[in-house]
Amino acid sequence: MLPVLAQQVVTFSWKVITDNLDVLWAGVRLTVFVSVLSFTIATVLGVFVALARMSERRVVAAAAAAYINVLRAIPLLVFIVFIYYGVAIYFGLTFATGIQAGIFAFSLQYSAWLGEIFRSGIQAVPKGQREAAMAVGMGPVRTFVTVILPQAVRVATPPTGNMMVGMVKDSALLYVIGVQELFRNAQLLANRTFRYFEIYLAIVLIYLTLTTTVYYGMKFLEQRLQPVDVLATAPRRFAPFERRRRERLLELRERIGAEAAPTRIVAPEAGA
Amino acid sequence: MTGQDATAPVVRLQGINKWFDDNHVLRGVDLAVSRGEHVVVFGPSGSGKSTLLRTINLLEEPQKGSVAILGVEYGPGLDGEIAGRRRGDARELRQHVGMVFQQFNLFPHMTVLDNVAIALRRVRGVDRAEAEERAARQLRRVGLLQKVSAFPAQLSGGQQQRVAIARALVLDPDVMLFDEPTSALDPELVGEVLGAMRDLAETGMTMVVVTHEMGFAREVGDLNVFMDEGVIVEQGGREIFTESREARTRDFIKAVL
Ligand SMILES: Nc1ncnc2c1ncn2[C@@H]1O[C@H](COP(=O)(O)OP(=O)(O)O)[C@@H](O)[C@H]1O
Ligand SMILES: [Mg+2]
Repeated sequence: MLPVLAQQVVTFSWKVITDNLDVLWAGVRLTVFVSVLSFTIATVLGVFVALARMSERRVVAAAAAAYINVLRAIPLLVFIVFIYYGVAIYFGLTFATGIQAGIFAFSLQYSAWLGEIFRSGIQAVPKGQREAAMAVGMGPVRTFVTVILPQAVRVATPPTGNMMVGMVKDSALLYVIGVQELFRNAQLLANRTFRYFEIYLAIVLIYLTLTTTVYYGMKFLEQRLQPVDVLATAPRRFAPFERRRRERLLELRERIGAEAAPTRIVAPEAGA
Repeated sequence: MTGQDATAPVVRLQGINKWFDDNHVLRGVDLAVSRGEHVVVFGPSGSGKSTLLRTINLLEEPQKGSVAILGVEYGPGLDGEIAGRRRGDARELRQHVGMVFQQFNLFPHMTVLDNVAIALRRVRGVDRAEAEERAARQLRRVGLLQKVSAFPAQLSGGQQQRVAIARALVLDPDVMLFDEPTSALDPELVGEVLGAMRDLAETGMTMVVVTHEMGFAREVGDLNVFMDEGVIVEQGGREIFTESREARTRDFIKAVL
């Protein structure tokens, strides 16, 4: 064993990577494609799952609950194999390539997880918010879009980001049905060149890069969702849209403040 | 706005009955509020004060009874006699009724200005510039013009409640409802909110206020209503605080003072 190991170490070479960048790049592209598309579909489905789960109609809510519980209970790997070798072949779905079957499996299972995340986001919004919106005359749809959803999104963003990272990682599971995403391409390459260490190290680094990018993208988004007081006394660096808002509000405050005194219902700026 | 009757009471509840499942929470409540009148509702916790107030803007739908705003029926109506009168929908009703909640319920993701301007823009269809102007004027009225760009979390409870008052006033309601507006406040912040409400009362705004602030009630309450167990036990002018007819009223007043 030892001499072999020693030999591996001394002959470590990135050449196998640089020579095969195109193969790896193709893998990255497919990984990103499958992840983005599956996650997008899962997000749309997830919204419906969440709404169905909260439906006042018992049958609808129960069906959504069953959907969620069943899908979440099946190991993703098993589900992928089931869809591709089981369902697709049994029902003769010849259109179903591995990629399509994979996207189908991911979309369904992720929609169950995301549905629950969205539901808890919506339910985290206090009841009083809906009442306040209705009290100023908003209808149910306006209330949801203007008042509930923005607050639910803020609650759901961090766990949704985690799911997105999970999606990128889970996409590697498609190697079992022969989809040539990043991991599968790496395997094929390694089997051909015997440069296991270099190749798998490269793969680890590439996944790390992808997931870190998603992670920081989400962090950035979370920050953008944080309210910013554009007239605060200690301003941070404002984005252009914040600067415009700042100017508008300063002008408004000045102009309204200078108007002839209306019926004021408390002393000027009492306690402000 | 058609079908309104200028001579009708701003709010008239008749025979209001409300159940939550088996819990009979309002048991035949009648209440009339005329223009410019200030009604104070008080009574023990759980007696149905909030439910009554929320019936006025149909946040709670009574199973039985008439909810008439400016002479237009919005509730299920009384058996027989109300039938045939126009029944408006809840959203139209809410164009006339402003509400201030115990927990303020400001929209935390919007600036103070947007909190006040949003309904003008999204419900009334007022363009942004004008909506913001009108919102800013209301904020100035409650002494918070300087806070236009702040978010609710940056404000004290008293300031938040004043924003909530501005949010309701900007829609130019015919009546303002207050559900224990100072109960969630630290004691030192109660004064600024009661001050805003007192000044609002002086402008002639029609108001229905659920509160345990007996000082406020004595000063502002034209009609004082004592509720217990889903009924109005007693109502009257200032004298109710000194010479109430009912023992239950006397006991309650003694207890909260
Ligand atoms: N949404 C609701 N669902 C079920 N019961 C309720 C609801 N709101 C109020 N109640 C019940 O109605 C009764 C009166 O409540 P409420 O009007 O809040 O009283 P108050 O404001 O006088 O304290 C209480 O017994 C309360 O538990
Ligand atoms: Mg109450």
